[in-house]
Amino acid sequence: MSILRTESLSKRFGGLKAVDAVDLELEEGEILGVIGPNGAGKTTLFSMIAGSIPPTSGKVVLESQVISGASARRAVRAGVVRTHQIVRPFQNLTVLENVMVGAIYGKARPRGARERALEILEFCGLRDRAPQLPGGLTLAGRKRLELARALATEPRVLLLDEVIAGVNPAEAVQMADLIRSVREKRGLSIILIEHVMPAVMRLSDRVVVLDAGKKIAEGKPQQVVSDPRVVAAYLGESASAAARVQPGTGTAPTPASGSGPASHPTPPSHPTPAASPPSRGGKGPGGGA
Amino acid sequence: MERFTELVVAAVLLAGLYATMAYGLGIIYGVLRIVNLNHGGVIMAGAYLGWVMHERLGIDPYLSIPIVMVFSFLLGILVYRVLVRHLPRGAAGGVQSLLLLFGVWLVLRNVAYLLFTGNDQTIRTEYSTRSIVAFGLALSVNRVAVFVIAVLMLIALHLFLTRTFTGKAIRAVAQNADSCTLVGVDVERIYALTFAIGTALAGLAGLLGAMLFSFNPSYGSSDLLKSFVIVVLGGLGSVVGTAAASLILALVEVFAILALPAYLTGAVGFVLLVLVLVIRPGGLFGQRVLG
Amino acid sequence: MKLLPHWVSRSALAALVVALAIGAVLPSLFGWSVYTRNQVTETMLFVAAALAWNWMGGYLGQVSFGHSAMFGIGGFISARLLLAVHVPFWSAWIVGGVVAALYALLWGHPTLRLRGPYFSIATIGVGEATRLVMTYWEDLTGGSSGLSLRIVPGLKSELYYWGLALLALVIGASYALRKSTFGLGLLAIKSDVDAAGDVGISPTLMQDVVLLLSGFTVGLTGAFYASYQSYIEPGDMFGFDRSISFVLMAVIGGVGTIIGPALGAVIFVILRQYLIASYPQLYLGIYGVLLIVVILFEPLGMVGLAYRIARRLHLLRPDTEAKLEMKAAVGGAAASPEVREGGGG
Repeated sequence: MSILRTESLSKRFGGLKAVDAVDLELEEGEILGVIGPNGAGKTTLFSMIAGSIPPTSGKVVLESQVISGASARRAVRAGVVRTHQIVRPFQNLTVLENVMVGAIYGKARPRGARERALEILEFCGLRDRAPQLPGGLTLAGRKRLELARALATEPRVLLLDEVIAGVNPAEAVQMADLIRSVREKRGLSIILIEHVMPAVMRLSDRVVVLDAGKKIAEGKPQQVVSDPRVVAAYLGESASAAARVQPGTGTAPTPASGSGPASHPTPPSHPTPAASPPSRGGKGPGGGA
Repeated sequence: MERFTELVVAAVLLAGLYATMAYGLGIIYGVLRIVNLNHGGVIMAGAYLGWVMHERLGIDPYLSIPIVMVFSFLLGILVYRVLVRHLPRGAAGGVQSLLLLFGVWLVLRNVAYLLFTGNDQTIRTEYSTRSIVAFGLALSVNRVAVFVIAVLMLIALHLFLTRTFTGKAIRAVAQNADSCTLVGVDVERIYALTFAIGTALAGLAGLLGAMLFSFNPSYGSSDLLKSFVIVVLGGLGSVVGTAAASLILALVEVFAILALPAYLTGAVGFVLLVLVLVIRPGGLFGQRVLG
Repeated sequence: MKLLPHWVSRSALAALVVALAIGAVLPSLFGWSVYTRNQVTETMLFVAAALAWNWMGGYLGQVSFGHSAMFGIGGFISARLLLAVHVPFWSAWIVGGVVAALYALLWGHPTLRLRGPYFSIATIGVGEATRLVMTYWEDLTGGSSGLSLRIVPGLKSELYYWGLALLALVIGASYALRKSTFGLGLLAIKSDVDAAGDVGISPTLMQDVVLLLSGFTVGLTGAFYASYQSYIEPGDMFGFDRSISFVLMAVIGGVGTIIGPALGAVIFVILRQYLIASYPQLYLGIYGVLLIVVILFEPLGMVGLAYRIARRLHLLRPDTEAKLEMKAAVGGAAASPEVREGGGG
């Protein structure tokens, strides 16, 4: 049973189609990864799911309730919350107050907000930073804060926009562990956008690939990443041809609409170098392996 | 029909002044992303300066244009170097620079009040009441002269911004200040220069306006608002856009006099401002560039 | 027994009550002249107005240059009512306040979509347009001749206590707005309105509430002023100078704090009294200079300056110092998210 799905979700900005008829399904308790070159429309997709911007067409359905086209606040009240690619903490508030805002306003529950916020800070490893201002945190700290604040709104679905990119390897590992425990210990379903491929591979149950606004592949991480279409999207046509020739990856491309995995004679045991493609837009994948 | 033509011509002549005024505000905003709330103060200062030179030194106002502009230019440099420079650019500096320049306006107002009292003044020359006949209409000499000078100024400005190196540097900074630093443009100097140019234009507009209207130390707030309306409507730096928006505003004003009782015509500019700001919110600013 | 919300500090409440009691006996205790008592009444009035302005300018972060519109409407509605019907003056005040609040909502709701400087400039337009229309709406404002109320003997001395009560209420409301969960939401909106929306806050709703509160209170002070002066005229009530005075009092005193606008109002009244004989217009210029100084050097205005001096003289306890550091970092007209970007990478 899917907890969240999008039906033919599209967003047009003037003449540009940023997101083109994307169908997505998130199972309850799943971690779904969304990858794709820069400019593929991933953040725009998130913004629509989270209610920050209205879709041009299509809809977002949370369980059986349509939540698209309303405000971000309605989405949060329904149980969908997002974090931002570039962290946006409330600079004028302390770490604790930041999370309290989520606790109070997420579900309009001011009572006990402080205690809940403290508990979440503890969960995210920020308890000792509670009285500080966000400006005093490292980037990793601020990303955790962003996550904590989102968690405080008691969501069912959490949209994480590049929470791992940009931090050093050790912190990246901690962040990945945190995300996993969010799913396990708090029972959330998660969609994550990420450029750090190893993280995506390890965390996601399934992966969806976007390119130029369209979904071009979907399936288990290993399959998707060696899909020639995906490689082509990241590296260009000639590399895709090269990929086709290599053993172990030479099967027919998985159709974008399909959900069945393509069969490989010898699936790679861990992500191949092709799994860390440079983004077309020029922004490299953060962190290390 | 003749009345109609009269009004349209009056609007066109007025639009010249408005365009000069608005450009002074717009160029500062386009390059420094600062709303110069002292705009009205400088306009008032320009008016008084012209008046003083006429009354005390007997200099014809049109001849004092260079003096007023140089004075205003230097004033702009002073205000920028001593005050504005210290504020952060962009959104962060928004309200701060607003309040800072507002403070300067208060000071200017007070200085004018002390020097000249609060009474209305006018600049009266021996040709003030004369008119020339054109298009079958009798047009006030001053209105025509103001229009001509304004147009010449705008043309000169356009040429400066498109043909000279400094002018292009200014436009470049408006688009992307960081890249300019990288290629060796002294961005600080450009900021100071632009601020001074904007101030000089305001001073000129003040002097020209003084030829047409009476003024006192509180003069300038409606000009500030009108300039803002024009900048939002017409886009930044585009001379054509500024001209068009100025014309629209002037036409609305001129014809409003027909439709509305006298006292409400003053409110037209303000209402238009609020409408314009609400319908085309501030986000539009960031997308326009000079050129 | 939990009577009060958790964010209300017992000691602050007690301090307010004590101050109120002291204020009530001050005139007789010190044998104030009628003149002094009236000066204090007027000061309290301005403090209340400045604090109410501050709810929008300091807490929400949207600087309004047009608050005289509400001040004037409150004043004239109340005065008209008192001239027409025999009601207790405080009820007329409330009516004035309500109408002013609704007017604030009318122009404020659409305009608050604008951010920062654009909103501020729009308010200049609103203030001036209101003034122009009101000046000629003779039926309401009596035109340039204004309105005169019946002089009630002994009213001014009674007004001292009313002023005290009003001030206490406004201070209480300021405190509540600041410390409550609502206040936290306001601060979040001021910090980053979009991110606030993304965690479940409705900025428009909260802004509307602040508009109504601020509009009501400023309208109420306008009505109070009308009863106090017994004569009001539109040029003064709706004037740009009037709007400016609110901004100056709050920003120079220390925007975003409670003591700040109070301090600013006191200085304002004192300055004006001092100069009114020789140079009636000079105080605007002085205030202009003060404004410049505050913006460039001390975001928390006079209050911030006082703290700095106290710190220099080692008059503060260390934890108070730390709290003040933080307050300085987040308060003030100068505070905005980008400026405070700091910390490690």
